[in-house]
Amino acid sequence: MIRDITLGQYYPAKSILHELDPRVKLAATMIFVISLFVARSPVGYGLATIFLVLVIRMSKVPFRFMTKGLKSIIMLLMITVAFNLFLVDGNTLWRLGFLRITDKGVQTAVMVGIRLIYLILGSSVMTLTTTPNDLTDGLEKAMEPLKKFYIPLGPLKKFRIPVHDMAMIMSIALRFIPILLEETDKIMKAQMARGADFESGNLIQKAKAMVPLLAPLFLSAFRRAMDLALAMEARCYRGGEGRTKMKPLKYESRDRTAYGVILGYFLIVTAIERGVQIYGWIVALPGRWMAVYQWILSFL
Amino acid sequence: MSIKVKNVNYTYSEGTAYEIHALKDVNLEILDGQFVGLIGHTGSGKSTLIQHLNGLIRATEGKIYFNGRDIYGEKYPLKELRSKVGLVFQYPEYQLFETDVLKDVCFGPKNLGYSQEEAEKKAKEALRMVGMGEEYDQSSPFELSGGQKRRVAIAGVLAMEPEVLILDEPTAGLDPRGRDEILDQISYLKRERGITVILVSHSMEDVARYVDRLIVMNQGQVRFDGTPREVFRHYQELREIGLDAPQVTYLMKSLKEKGAHVDVDATTVEEAADAIAAWLKERE
Ligand SMILES: Nc1ncnc2c1ncn2[C@@H]1O[C@H](COP(=O)(O)OP(=O)(O)OP(=O)(O)O)[C@@H](O)[C@H]1O
Ligand SMILES: [Mg+2]
Repeated sequence: MIRDITLGQYYPAKSILHELDPRVKLAATMIFVISLFVARSPVGYGLATIFLVLVIRMSKVPFRFMTKGLKSIIMLLMITVAFNLFLVDGNTLWRLGFLRITDKGVQTAVMVGIRLIYLILGSSVMTLTTTPNDLTDGLEKAMEPLKKFYIPLGPLKKFRIPVHDMAMIMSIALRFIPILLEETDKIMKAQMARGADFESGNLIQKAKAMVPLLAPLFLSAFRRAMDLALAMEARCYRGGEGRTKMKPLKYESRDRTAYGVILGYFLIVTAIERGVQIYGWIVALPGRWMAVYQWILSFL
Repeated sequence: MSIKVKNVNYTYSEGTAYEIHALKDVNLEILDGQFVGLIGHTGSGKSTLIQHLNGLIRATEGKIYFNGRDIYGEKYPLKELRSKVGLVFQYPEYQLFETDVLKDVCFGPKNLGYSQEEAEKKAKEALRMVGMGEEYDQSSPFELSGGQKRRVAIAGVLAMEPEVLILDEPTAGLDPRGRDEILDQISYLKRERGITVILVSHSMEDVARYVDRLIVMNQGQVRFDGTPREVFRHYQELREIGLDAPQVTYLMKSLKEKGAHVDVDATTVEEAADAIAAWLKERE
Protein backbone atom coordinates (compact mmCIF):
# COMPACT_ATOMS: atom_id res chain seq x y z
CA MET A 1 0.00 0.00 0.00
CA ILE A 2 2.55 2.52 1.16
CA ARG A 3 5.04 1.41 -1.46
CA ASP A 4 2.89 2.74 -4.25
CA ILE A 5 4.33 6.22 -3.93
CA THR A 6 6.38 6.68 -7.08
CA LEU A 7 7.64 10.22 -6.90
CA GLY A 8 11.39 9.81 -6.55
CA GLN A 9 11.38 6.18 -7.51
CA TYR A 10 13.35 4.60 -10.26
CA TYR A 11 11.74 2.38 -12.89
CA PRO A 12 14.29 0.04 -14.44
CA ALA A 13 14.02 -0.22 -18.23
CA LYS A 14 16.21 0.04 -21.28
CA SER A 15 15.59 3.30 -23.08
CA ILE A 16 17.53 6.24 -24.48
CA LEU A 17 16.29 8.35 -21.61
CA HIS A 18 17.68 5.91 -19.06
CA GLU A 19 21.08 6.11 -20.71
CA LEU A 20 21.31 9.89 -20.91
CA ASP A 21 23.72 11.75 -18.68
CA PRO A 22 21.88 12.88 -15.53
CA ARG A 23 23.04 16.47 -16.10
CA VAL A 24 21.19 16.53 -19.40
CA LYS A 25 18.04 15.26 -17.75
CA LEU A 26 18.30 17.79 -14.93
CA ALA A 27 18.79 20.67 -17.36
CA ALA A 28 16.06 19.40 -19.65
CA THR A 29 13.58 19.12 -16.79
CA MET A 30 14.37 22.67 -15.76
CA ILE A 31 13.97 23.96 -19.32
CA PHE A 32 10.71 22.07 -19.71
CA VAL A 33 9.36 23.61 -16.52
CA ILE A 34 10.33 27.09 -17.71
CA SER A 35 8.68 26.40 -21.05
CA LEU A 36 5.45 25.64 -19.20
CA PHE A 37 5.48 29.17 -17.84
CA VAL A 38 6.44 30.69 -21.18
CA ALA A 39 3.53 28.92 -22.85
CA ARG A 40 0.27 30.84 -22.61
CA SER A 41 -1.59 30.02 -25.77
CA PRO A 42 -3.30 26.75 -26.73
CA VAL A 43 -0.62 26.33 -29.40
CA GLY A 44 2.16 26.57 -26.80
CA TYR A 45 0.39 24.06 -24.55
CA GLY A 46 -0.22 21.80 -27.50
CA LEU A 47 3.48 21.79 -28.22
CA ALA A 48 4.34 21.03 -24.58
CA THR A 49 1.81 18.17 -24.67
CA ILE A 50 3.31 16.67 -27.81
CA PHE A 51 6.81 16.97 -26.38
CA LEU A 52 5.79 15.38 -23.08
CA VAL A 53 3.93 12.51 -24.75
CA LEU A 54 6.90 11.78 -27.01
CA VAL A 55 9.31 11.80 -24.08
CA ILE A 56 7.07 9.51 -22.01
CA ARG A 57 6.79 7.17 -24.99
CA MET A 58 10.57 7.16 -25.35
CA SER A 59 11.16 6.43 -21.65
CA LYS A 60 9.42 3.03 -21.93
CA VAL A 61 7.94 3.58 -18.48
CA PRO A 62 4.27 2.52 -18.44
CA PHE A 63 1.98 5.55 -18.29
CA ARG A 64 0.29 4.14 -15.17
CA PHE A 65 3.51 4.83 -13.28
CA MET A 66 3.58 8.47 -14.23
CA THR A 67 0.04 9.03 -13.07
CA LYS A 68 0.79 7.44 -9.72
CA GLY A 69 2.94 10.46 -8.90
CA LEU A 70 -0.09 12.62 -9.65
CA LYS A 71 -2.20 10.91 -7.01
CA SER A 72 -0.02 12.33 -4.26
CA ILE A 73 -0.70 15.92 -5.36
CA ILE A 74 -4.35 15.58 -6.20
CA MET A 75 -5.41 17.59 -3.14
CA LEU A 76 -3.03 20.41 -3.94
CA LEU A 77 -4.19 20.35 -7.53
CA MET A 78 -7.86 20.57 -6.61
CA ILE A 79 -7.32 23.41 -4.16
CA THR A 80 -5.28 25.42 -6.66
CA VAL A 81 -7.79 24.90 -9.41
CA ALA A 82 -10.70 25.80 -7.11
CA PHE A 83 -8.99 29.00 -5.97
CA ASN A 84 -8.41 30.12 -9.52
CA LEU A 85 -11.87 29.09 -10.59
CA PHE A 86 -13.68 31.12 -7.95
CA LEU A 87 -11.39 34.04 -7.26
CA VAL A 88 -10.31 35.32 -10.65
CA ASP A 89 -12.24 38.36 -11.89
CA GLY A 90 -13.90 38.49 -15.30
CA ASN A 91 -17.27 38.14 -16.96
CA THR A 92 -19.55 36.14 -14.71
CA LEU A 93 -20.69 32.84 -16.17
CA TRP A 94 -22.38 31.36 -13.14
CA ARG A 95 -23.20 32.63 -9.68
CA LEU A 96 -24.40 31.12 -6.40
CA GLY A 97 -24.42 33.38 -3.36
CA PHE A 98 -20.94 34.81 -2.98
CA LEU A 99 -19.45 32.15 -5.28
CA ARG A 100 -19.09 32.99 -8.91
CA ILE A 101 -17.28 31.55 -11.84
CA THR A 102 -15.98 33.83 -14.56
CA ASP A 103 -14.70 33.13 -18.06
CA LYS A 104 -11.25 34.32 -17.05
CA GLY A 105 -11.41 32.12 -13.95
CA VAL A 106 -12.15 29.02 -16.00
CA GLN A 107 -9.32 29.91 -18.34
CA THR A 108 -6.73 30.38 -15.59
CA ALA A 109 -7.92 27.35 -13.63
CA VAL A 110 -7.50 25.12 -16.67
CA MET A 111 -4.11 26.63 -17.41
CA VAL A 112 -2.81 26.30 -13.86
CA GLY A 113 -4.15 22.75 -13.63
CA ILE A 114 -2.42 21.71 -16.84
CA ARG A 115 0.77 23.43 -15.73
CA LEU A 116 0.84 21.58 -12.40
CA ILE A 117 0.08 18.21 -13.98
CA TYR A 118 2.76 18.65 -16.64
CA LEU A 119 5.22 19.81 -14.01
CA ILE A 120 4.77 16.61 -12.01
CA LEU A 121 4.75 14.43 -15.11
CA GLY A 122 7.92 16.09 -16.40
CA SER A 123 9.84 15.65 -13.18
CA SER A 124 8.49 12.11 -12.78
CA VAL A 125 10.03 11.25 -16.14
CA MET A 126 13.37 12.37 -14.79
CA THR A 127 13.20 10.53 -11.48
CA LEU A 128 11.74 7.40 -13.04
CA THR A 129 14.55 7.12 -15.58
CA THR A 130 17.45 8.15 -13.35
CA THR A 131 18.76 6.16 -10.40
CA PRO A 132 19.07 8.25 -7.23
CA ASN A 133 22.83 7.78 -7.37
CA ASP A 134 23.08 9.13 -10.89
CA LEU A 135 20.86 12.00 -9.91
CA THR A 136 23.10 13.15 -7.09
CA ASP A 137 26.20 12.57 -9.20
CA GLY A 138 24.68 14.85 -11.78
CA LEU A 139 23.78 17.45 -9.18
CA GLU A 140 27.23 17.36 -7.68
CA LYS A 141 28.85 17.79 -11.06
CA ALA A 142 26.45 20.56 -12.00
CA MET A 143 27.21 22.38 -8.76
CA GLU A 144 30.97 22.01 -9.16
CA PRO A 145 31.55 25.61 -10.31
CA LEU A 146 30.21 26.69 -6.92
CA LYS A 147 33.30 25.20 -5.30
CA LYS A 148 35.39 28.09 -6.63
CA PHE A 149 33.52 30.64 -4.55
CA TYR A 150 34.34 31.11 -0.91
CA ILE A 151 33.86 33.54 1.94
CA PRO A 152 37.10 34.45 3.72
CA LEU A 153 36.78 33.92 7.48
CA GLY A 154 40.20 35.18 8.53
CA PRO A 155 43.67 34.81 7.04
CA LEU A 156 43.76 31.03 6.69
CA LYS A 157 40.16 30.02 6.92
CA LYS A 158 37.81 30.05 4.01
CA PHE A 159 34.22 29.01 3.92
CA ARG A 160 33.42 27.11 0.77
CA ILE A 161 30.08 25.75 -0.24
CA PRO A 162 30.26 22.05 0.76
CA VAL A 163 29.14 20.76 -2.60
CA HIS A 164 30.28 17.20 -2.10
CA ASP A 165 28.75 16.92 1.35
CA MET A 166 25.48 18.32 0.12
CA ALA A 167 25.38 15.77 -2.66
CA MET A 168 26.25 12.97 -0.25
CA ILE A 169 23.53 14.03 2.17
CA MET A 170 21.06 14.07 -0.64
CA SER A 171 21.99 10.68 -2.00
CA ILE A 172 21.73 9.17 1.48
CA ALA A 173 18.39 10.84 2.06
CA LEU A 174 17.10 9.49 -1.24
CA ARG A 175 18.42 6.04 -0.41
CA PHE A 176 16.61 6.13 2.92
CA ILE A 177 13.19 6.93 1.49
CA PRO A 178 12.32 3.40 0.32
CA ILE A 179 13.94 1.89 3.41
CA LEU A 180 11.88 4.04 5.73
CA LEU A 181 8.73 3.37 3.73
CA GLU A 182 9.32 -0.34 4.12
CA GLU A 183 9.96 0.12 7.81
CA THR A 184 6.76 2.14 8.16
CA ASP A 185 4.85 -0.64 6.48
CA LYS A 186 6.32 -3.21 8.84
CA ILE A 187 5.71 -1.25 12.05
CA MET A 188 2.21 -0.35 10.92
CA LYS A 189 1.40 -4.01 10.40
CA ALA A 190 2.95 -4.99 13.72
CA GLN A 191 0.81 -2.43 15.56
CA MET A 192 -2.28 -3.42 13.59
CA ALA A 193 -1.66 -6.97 14.76
CA ARG A 194 -1.97 -5.52 18.27
CA GLY A 195 -5.30 -3.98 17.43
CA ALA A 196 -4.12 -0.50 16.45
CA ASP A 197 -6.42 1.41 14.13
CA PHE A 198 -4.88 3.99 11.82
CA GLU A 199 -7.94 4.75 9.73
CA SER A 200 -10.99 5.60 11.78
CA GLY A 201 -11.58 8.34 14.31
CA ASN A 202 -11.43 12.12 14.15
CA LEU A 203 -8.32 14.17 13.47
CA ILE A 204 -7.08 14.19 17.07
CA GLN A 205 -7.64 10.45 17.47
CA LYS A 206 -5.83 9.87 14.20
CA ALA A 207 -2.88 12.00 15.29
CA LYS A 208 -2.74 10.11 18.58
CA ALA A 209 -2.82 6.80 16.73
CA MET A 210 0.37 7.85 14.94
CA VAL A 211 2.50 7.71 18.10
CA PRO A 212 2.88 3.91 18.11
CA LEU A 213 4.00 4.24 14.50
CA LEU A 214 6.24 7.30 14.67
CA ALA A 215 8.13 6.53 17.87
CA PRO A 216 9.55 3.21 16.64
CA LEU A 217 10.09 4.72 13.20
CA PHE A 218 12.24 7.56 14.53
CA LEU A 219 14.19 5.18 16.70
CA SER A 220 14.86 2.94 13.78
CA ALA A 221 15.84 5.88 11.56
CA PHE A 222 18.38 7.04 14.14
CA ARG A 223 19.69 3.54 14.58
CA ARG A 224 20.12 3.15 10.84
CA ALA A 225 21.79 6.53 10.52
CA MET A 226 24.22 5.62 13.27
CA ASP A 227 24.98 2.25 11.71
CA LEU A 228 25.58 3.91 8.37
CA ALA A 229 27.90 6.53 9.87
CA LEU A 230 29.87 3.78 11.54
CA ALA A 231 30.06 1.73 8.37
CA MET A 232 31.24 4.77 6.40
CA GLU A 233 33.92 5.58 8.95
CA ALA A 234 35.05 1.99 9.05
CA ARG A 235 35.68 2.33 5.32
CA CYS A 236 37.68 5.49 5.86
CA TYR A 237 35.19 7.96 4.43
CA ARG A 238 36.53 11.45 5.08
CA GLY A 239 34.46 13.71 2.87
CA GLY A 240 34.98 14.87 -0.68
CA GLU A 241 38.63 15.99 -0.45
CA GLY A 242 40.68 14.07 -3.02
CA ARG A 243 37.89 11.59 -3.62
CA THR A 244 37.64 10.27 -7.16
CA LYS A 245 34.78 8.59 -8.93
CA MET A 246 34.66 5.04 -10.17
CA LYS A 247 32.50 6.09 -13.08
CA PRO A 248 33.10 9.78 -13.81
CA LEU A 249 30.34 11.46 -15.76
CA LYS A 250 31.23 12.09 -19.39
CA TYR A 251 29.12 13.54 -22.16
CA GLU A 252 28.46 11.31 -25.17
CA SER A 253 27.16 12.33 -28.55
CA ARG A 254 23.60 11.34 -27.56
CA ASP A 255 23.80 13.82 -24.68
CA ARG A 256 24.72 16.61 -27.06
CA THR A 257 21.83 15.63 -29.32
CA ALA A 258 19.50 15.70 -26.32
CA TYR A 259 20.65 19.20 -25.40
CA GLY A 260 19.96 20.20 -29.00
CA VAL A 261 16.46 18.73 -28.91
CA ILE A 262 15.42 20.37 -25.66
CA LEU A 263 16.83 23.75 -26.67
CA GLY A 264 15.12 23.43 -30.04
CA TYR A 265 11.83 22.70 -28.30
CA PHE A 266 12.26 25.68 -26.01
CA LEU A 267 13.08 28.05 -28.88
CA ILE A 268 10.05 26.90 -30.84
CA VAL A 269 7.72 27.39 -27.87
CA THR A 270 9.12 30.85 -27.22
CA ALA A 271 8.94 31.77 -30.87
CA ILE A 272 5.35 30.58 -31.11
CA GLU A 273 4.32 32.52 -28.04
CA ARG A 274 6.01 35.60 -29.48
CA GLY A 275 4.33 34.90 -32.79
CA VAL A 276 0.97 34.63 -31.08
CA GLN A 277 1.61 37.92 -29.35
CA ILE A 278 2.62 39.70 -32.55
CA TYR A 279 -0.29 38.13 -34.41
CA GLY A 280 -2.67 39.30 -31.72
CA TRP A 281 -1.20 42.77 -31.92
CA ILE A 282 -1.65 42.90 -35.70
CA VAL A 283 -5.19 41.57 -35.47
CA ALA A 284 -6.01 44.21 -32.90
CA LEU A 285 -4.47 46.90 -35.08
CA PRO A 286 -7.55 48.06 -37.10
CA GLY A 287 -9.48 48.41 -33.86
CA ARG A 288 -6.74 50.56 -32.40
CA TRP A 289 -6.59 52.72 -35.47
CA MET A 290 -10.35 53.08 -35.18
CA ALA A 291 -9.99 54.24 -31.61
CA VAL A 292 -7.32 56.77 -32.53
CA TYR A 293 -9.43 57.91 -35.46
CA GLN A 294 -12.45 58.39 -33.23
CA TRP A 295 -10.35 60.14 -30.63
CA ILE A 296 -9.15 62.62 -33.24
CA LEU A 297 -12.71 62.95 -34.56
CA SER A 298 -13.93 63.87 -31.11
CA PHE A 299 -11.79 67.01 -31.25
CA LEU A 300 -13.16 68.10 -34.53
CA MET B 1 -12.71 -24.36 14.89
CA SER B 2 -9.80 -23.92 12.55
CA ILE B 3 -8.02 -21.76 10.05
CA LYS B 4 -8.58 -22.82 6.49
CA VAL B 5 -6.50 -21.47 3.63
CA LYS B 6 -7.99 -22.17 0.21
CA ASN B 7 -6.17 -21.70 -3.10
CA VAL B 8 -4.44 -18.58 -1.89
CA ASN B 9 -2.23 -16.65 -4.29
CA TYR B 10 -0.43 -13.47 -3.43
CA THR B 11 1.56 -11.09 -5.60
CA TYR B 12 3.56 -8.18 -4.21
CA SER B 13 3.45 -4.91 -6.18
CA GLU B 14 1.10 -6.37 -8.73
CA GLY B 15 1.28 -4.75 -12.14
CA THR B 16 4.67 -3.14 -11.66
CA ALA B 17 8.24 -3.93 -12.66
CA TYR B 18 8.86 -5.30 -9.18
CA GLU B 19 6.11 -7.91 -9.26
CA ILE B 20 6.83 -10.93 -7.03
CA HIS B 21 4.56 -13.94 -6.94
CA ALA B 22 5.11 -14.76 -3.26
CA LEU B 23 2.40 -17.39 -2.71
CA LYS B 24 1.22 -19.89 -5.29
CA ASP B 25 -1.98 -21.79 -4.73
CA VAL B 26 -1.54 -22.52 -1.03
CA ASN B 27 -4.02 -24.87 0.65
CA LEU B 28 -3.88 -25.58 4.36
CA GLU B 29 -6.06 -26.40 7.30
CA ILE B 30 -4.80 -25.69 10.78
CA LEU B 31 -6.82 -27.37 13.50
CA ASP B 32 -7.39 -26.28 17.06
CA GLY B 33 -4.64 -27.05 19.52
CA GLN B 34 -2.02 -27.98 16.97
CA PHE B 35 1.60 -26.94 17.38
CA VAL B 36 2.62 -26.26 13.80
CA GLY B 37 6.12 -25.57 12.55
CA LEU B 38 6.55 -23.61 9.33
CA ILE B 39 9.93 -23.86 7.68
CA GLY B 40 11.40 -22.87 4.36
CA HIS B 41 14.39 -21.25 2.74
CA THR B 42 14.65 -17.47 3.04
CA GLY B 43 12.21 -15.82 0.63
CA SER B 44 9.98 -18.89 0.42
CA GLY B 45 6.92 -16.92 1.55
CA LYS B 46 6.56 -17.88 5.21
CA SER B 47 6.12 -14.36 6.51
CA THR B 48 3.77 -13.55 3.66
CA LEU B 49 1.61 -16.57 4.43
CA ILE B 50 1.24 -15.89 8.14
CA GLN B 51 0.26 -12.28 7.54
CA HIS B 52 -2.70 -13.62 5.59
CA LEU B 53 -3.93 -15.58 8.58
CA ASN B 54 -4.89 -12.48 10.56
CA GLY B 55 -5.98 -10.43 7.58
CA LEU B 56 -3.05 -8.01 7.44
CA ILE B 57 -2.47 -8.95 3.83
CA ARG B 58 -5.38 -9.65 1.55
CA ALA B 59 -4.89 -12.55 -0.83
CA THR B 60 -4.81 -11.61 -4.51
CA GLU B 61 -6.78 -14.79 -5.15
CA GLY B 62 -8.33 -17.42 -2.92
CA LYS B 63 -10.14 -17.51 0.40
CA ILE B 64 -9.38 -17.81 4.08
CA TYR B 65 -11.83 -19.13 6.64
CA PHE B 66 -11.49 -18.62 10.38
CA ASN B 67 -13.79 -20.87 12.37
CA GLY B 68 -15.77 -21.47 9.22
CA ARG B 69 -16.31 -17.81 8.33
CA ASP B 70 -14.86 -16.18 5.24
CA ILE B 71 -12.60 -13.38 6.52
CA TYR B 72 -12.92 -11.49 3.25
CA GLY B 73 -16.68 -11.44 3.63
CA GLU B 74 -18.42 -8.11 3.99
CA LYS B 75 -18.57 -6.74 7.54
CA TYR B 76 -16.14 -9.35 8.86
CA PRO B 77 -14.64 -7.84 12.03
CA LEU B 78 -10.94 -7.83 11.14
CA LYS B 79 -9.94 -6.24 14.43
CA GLU B 80 -11.52 -9.11 16.31
CA LEU B 81 -9.76 -11.56 14.04
CA ARG B 82 -6.46 -9.90 14.87
CA SER B 83 -7.09 -10.31 18.56
CA LYS B 84 -7.95 -13.99 18.12
CA VAL B 85 -5.07 -14.71 15.80
CA GLY B 86 -2.10 -13.10 17.55
CA LEU B 87 0.86 -12.45 15.29
CA VAL B 88 4.34 -11.76 16.60
CA PHE B 89 6.52 -10.36 13.82
CA GLN B 90 10.14 -11.00 13.07
CA TYR B 91 12.21 -8.76 15.37
CA PRO B 92 9.11 -7.64 17.29
CA GLU B 93 11.20 -5.45 19.62
CA TYR B 94 11.12 -2.76 16.92
CA GLN B 95 7.42 -2.20 17.61
CA LEU B 96 7.91 -1.11 21.24
CA PHE B 97 7.12 2.54 21.77
CA GLU B 98 5.80 3.27 25.25
CA THR B 99 7.69 4.79 28.14
CA ASP B 100 7.48 1.69 30.27
CA VAL B 101 7.09 -2.03 29.76
CA LEU B 102 3.68 -2.38 31.37
CA LYS B 103 2.15 0.43 29.32
CA ASP B 104 3.51 -1.08 26.14
CA VAL B 105 1.98 -4.46 26.85
CA CYS B 106 -1.32 -2.76 27.71
CA PHE B 107 -1.52 -1.31 24.20
CA GLY B 108 -3.13 -4.44 22.71
CA PRO B 109 -5.85 -5.05 25.34
CA LYS B 110 -6.69 -1.34 25.43
CA ASN B 111 -7.17 -1.33 21.68
CA LEU B 112 -9.65 -4.15 22.21
CA GLY B 113 -11.63 -1.88 24.49
CA TYR B 114 -10.63 -3.19 27.93
CA SER B 115 -10.53 -0.76 30.83
CA GLN B 116 -7.21 0.38 32.31
CA GLU B 117 -7.43 -2.11 35.22
CA GLU B 118 -8.40 -5.05 33.05
CA ALA B 119 -5.70 -4.21 30.53
CA GLU B 120 -3.09 -4.00 33.28
CA LYS B 121 -4.20 -7.30 34.73
CA LYS B 122 -3.90 -9.01 31.37
CA ALA B 123 -0.58 -7.29 30.69
CA LYS B 124 0.88 -8.42 34.00
CA GLU B 125 -0.30 -11.96 33.42
CA ALA B 126 1.27 -11.98 29.95
CA LEU B 127 4.54 -10.54 31.23
CA ARG B 128 4.84 -13.21 33.94
CA MET B 129 4.04 -15.84 31.38
CA VAL B 130 7.04 -14.89 29.25
CA GLY B 131 9.20 -14.80 32.35
CA MET B 132 9.45 -11.04 32.88
CA GLY B 133 9.36 -10.33 36.60
CA GLU B 134 7.55 -7.48 38.30
CA GLU B 135 10.79 -5.53 38.71
CA TYR B 136 10.74 -4.71 34.99
CA ASP B 137 7.18 -3.36 34.83
CA GLN B 138 8.23 0.25 35.16
CA SER B 139 11.48 0.13 33.17
CA SER B 140 11.77 1.69 29.77
CA PRO B 141 11.57 -0.99 27.08
CA PHE B 142 14.66 0.52 25.48
CA GLU B 143 16.87 -0.22 28.47
CA LEU B 144 16.27 -3.95 28.28
CA SER B 145 18.50 -6.53 26.64
CA GLY B 146 17.61 -7.93 23.23
CA GLY B 147 16.10 -11.11 24.65
CA GLN B 148 14.08 -9.20 27.22
CA LYS B 149 12.74 -6.82 24.58
CA ARG B 150 11.68 -9.82 22.55
CA ARG B 151 9.78 -11.22 25.54
CA VAL B 152 8.03 -7.93 26.17
CA ALA B 153 6.98 -7.78 22.52
CA ILE B 154 5.64 -11.34 22.67
CA ALA B 155 3.79 -10.45 25.87
CA GLY B 156 2.27 -7.52 23.99
CA VAL B 157 0.49 -9.99 21.73
CA LEU B 158 -0.24 -12.56 24.44
CA ALA B 159 -2.01 -9.93 26.52
CA MET B 160 -4.79 -9.92 23.92
CA GLU B 161 -5.36 -13.59 24.82
CA PRO B 162 -5.36 -14.94 21.28
CA GLU B 163 -6.72 -18.38 20.41
CA VAL B 164 -4.00 -18.82 17.83
CA LEU B 165 -0.47 -17.57 18.39
CA ILE B 166 1.77 -17.13 15.38
CA LEU B 167 5.44 -16.39 15.92
CA ASP B 168 7.74 -15.38 13.08
CA GLU B 169 11.21 -16.58 14.00
CA PRO B 170 10.91 -15.66 17.65
CA THR B 171 14.45 -16.79 18.35
CA ALA B 172 16.32 -15.01 15.53
CA GLY B 173 19.43 -13.33 16.85
CA LEU B 174 19.22 -14.78 20.37
CA ASP B 175 21.90 -16.84 22.09
CA PRO B 176 21.25 -20.60 22.61
CA ARG B 177 20.07 -20.11 26.17
CA GLY B 178 17.67 -17.28 25.34
CA ARG B 179 16.41 -19.36 22.46
CA ASP B 180 15.67 -22.40 24.61
CA GLU B 181 14.00 -20.29 27.27
CA ILE B 182 11.65 -18.61 24.84
CA LEU B 183 10.74 -21.86 23.08
CA ASP B 184 10.20 -23.66 26.39
CA GLN B 185 7.93 -20.87 27.51
CA ILE B 186 5.95 -21.02 24.30
CA SER B 187 5.43 -24.74 24.57
CA TYR B 188 4.46 -24.33 28.24
CA LEU B 189 1.97 -21.68 27.21
CA LYS B 190 0.52 -23.93 24.61
CA ARG B 191 -0.06 -26.73 27.11
CA GLU B 192 -1.34 -24.32 29.76
CA ARG B 193 -3.83 -22.40 27.64
CA GLY B 194 -4.49 -25.01 25.00
CA ILE B 195 -3.98 -22.49 22.21
CA THR B 196 -2.90 -23.22 18.67
CA VAL B 197 0.69 -22.22 17.93
CA ILE B 198 2.32 -21.66 14.56
CA LEU B 199 6.06 -21.31 14.78
CA VAL B 200 8.13 -20.05 11.86
CA SER B 201 11.68 -21.19 12.25
CA HIS B 202 14.96 -21.77 10.48
CA SER B 203 16.19 -24.32 12.97
CA MET B 204 15.31 -27.95 12.25
CA GLU B 205 16.38 -28.97 15.74
CA ASP B 206 13.90 -26.54 17.28
CA VAL B 207 10.93 -27.59 15.23
CA ALA B 208 11.72 -31.29 15.62
CA ARG B 209 11.72 -30.87 19.35
CA TYR B 210 8.55 -28.85 19.82
CA VAL B 211 6.05 -29.17 17.01
CA ASP B 212 3.68 -31.97 16.12
CA ARG B 213 3.10 -30.90 12.57
CA LEU B 214 5.58 -29.51 10.09
CA ILE B 215 4.85 -27.52 6.95
CA VAL B 216 7.67 -26.97 4.48
CA MET B 217 7.46 -24.11 2.00
CA ASN B 218 9.48 -23.64 -1.14
CA GLN B 219 9.18 -20.75 -3.59
CA GLY B 220 5.71 -19.83 -2.44
CA GLN B 221 4.33 -23.35 -2.43
CA VAL B 222 3.69 -25.92 0.29
CA ARG B 223 6.13 -28.72 -0.40
CA PHE B 224 5.65 -31.08 2.55
CA ASP B 225 3.07 -31.25 5.30
CA GLY B 226 3.15 -33.88 8.02
CA THR B 227 4.70 -34.88 11.32
CA PRO B 228 8.38 -34.01 11.71
CA ARG B 229 9.22 -37.70 11.33
CA GLU B 230 7.39 -37.97 8.03
CA VAL B 231 8.86 -34.75 6.70
CA PHE B 232 12.45 -35.45 7.67
CA ARG B 233 12.25 -38.78 5.91
CA HIS B 234 12.57 -36.65 2.76
CA TYR B 235 15.91 -35.31 3.88
CA GLN B 236 17.33 -35.55 0.37
CA GLU B 237 14.57 -33.45 -1.19
CA LEU B 238 14.89 -31.02 1.71
CA ARG B 239 18.56 -30.59 0.81
CA GLU B 240 17.58 -29.67 -2.73
CA ILE B 241 15.42 -26.80 -1.52
CA GLY B 242 18.12 -25.50 0.77
CA LEU B 243 17.00 -27.09 4.04
CA ASP B 244 18.59 -29.68 6.29
CA ALA B 245 17.05 -32.34 8.46
CA PRO B 246 18.17 -32.31 12.11
CA GLN B 247 21.74 -33.50 12.52
CA VAL B 248 20.68 -36.66 14.34
CA THR B 249 18.77 -37.74 11.23
CA TYR B 250 22.04 -37.84 9.33
CA LEU B 251 23.75 -39.63 12.21
CA MET B 252 21.09 -42.33 12.28
CA LYS B 253 21.28 -42.72 8.52
CA SER B 254 25.02 -43.32 8.59
CA LEU B 255 24.71 -45.69 11.55
CA LYS B 256 22.21 -47.68 9.54
CA GLU B 257 24.51 -47.71 6.53
CA LYS B 258 27.28 -49.04 8.77
CA GLY B 259 25.02 -51.95 9.68
CA ALA B 260 23.39 -50.84 12.92
CA HIS B 261 19.70 -51.74 13.21
CA VAL B 262 18.43 -48.41 14.47
CA ASP B 263 15.23 -46.47 13.87
CA VAL B 264 16.26 -43.93 11.22
CA ASP B 265 13.23 -41.74 11.82
CA ALA B 266 14.55 -40.29 15.07
CA THR B 267 14.41 -36.52 14.85
CA THR B 268 15.51 -35.37 18.29
CA VAL B 269 18.62 -36.19 20.30
CA GLU B 270 16.51 -37.97 22.94
CA GLU B 271 14.77 -40.17 20.39
CA ALA B 272 18.10 -40.98 18.80
CA ALA B 273 19.62 -41.89 22.16
CA ASP B 274 16.67 -44.16 22.92
CA ALA B 275 16.93 -45.81 19.51
CA ILE B 276 20.65 -46.45 19.91
CA ALA B 277 20.18 -47.78 23.44
CA ALA B 278 17.45 -50.12 22.21
CA TRP B 279 19.67 -51.40 19.47
CA LEU B 280 22.61 -51.95 21.86
CA LYS B 281 20.35 -53.86 24.23
CA GLU B 282 19.06 -55.98 21.39
CA ARG B 283 22.62 -56.88 20.35
CA GLU B 284 23.67 -58.11 23.76
N1 LIG C 1 6.74 -5.89 1.42
C1 LIG C 1 7.19 -6.56 0.35
N2 LIG C 1 7.17 -6.00 -0.88
C2 LIG C 1 7.61 -6.67 -1.96
N3 LIG C 1 8.08 -7.91 -1.93
C3 LIG C 1 8.14 -8.54 -0.74
C4 LIG C 1 7.70 -7.89 0.45
N4 LIG C 1 7.86 -8.75 1.49
C5 LIG C 1 8.38 -9.88 0.95
N5 LIG C 1 8.55 -9.77 -0.39
C6 LIG C 1 9.05 -10.81 -1.31
O1 LIG C 1 8.19 -11.93 -1.24
C7 LIG C 1 8.92 -13.14 -1.20
C8 LIG C 1 8.56 -13.92 0.06
O2 LIG C 1 8.98 -13.18 1.18
P1 LIG C 1 8.74 -13.61 2.68
O3 LIG C 1 9.13 -12.46 3.54
O4 LIG C 1 7.37 -14.14 2.82
O5 LIG C 1 9.80 -14.78 2.85
P2 LIG C 1 10.20 -15.59 4.17
O6 LIG C 1 9.96 -17.02 3.86
O7 LIG C 1 9.54 -15.03 5.35
O8 LIG C 1 11.76 -15.35 4.24
P3 LIG C 1 12.71 -15.16 5.54
O9 LIG C 1 13.02 -16.52 6.03
O10 LIG C 1 13.93 -14.50 4.97
O11 LIG C 1 11.99 -14.32 6.52
C9 LIG C 1 10.38 -12.74 -1.28
O12 LIG C 1 10.79 -12.93 -2.61
C10 LIG C 1 10.41 -11.30 -0.89
O13 LIG C 1 11.43 -10.63 -1.58
MG1 LIG D 1 10.21 -13.94 7.06
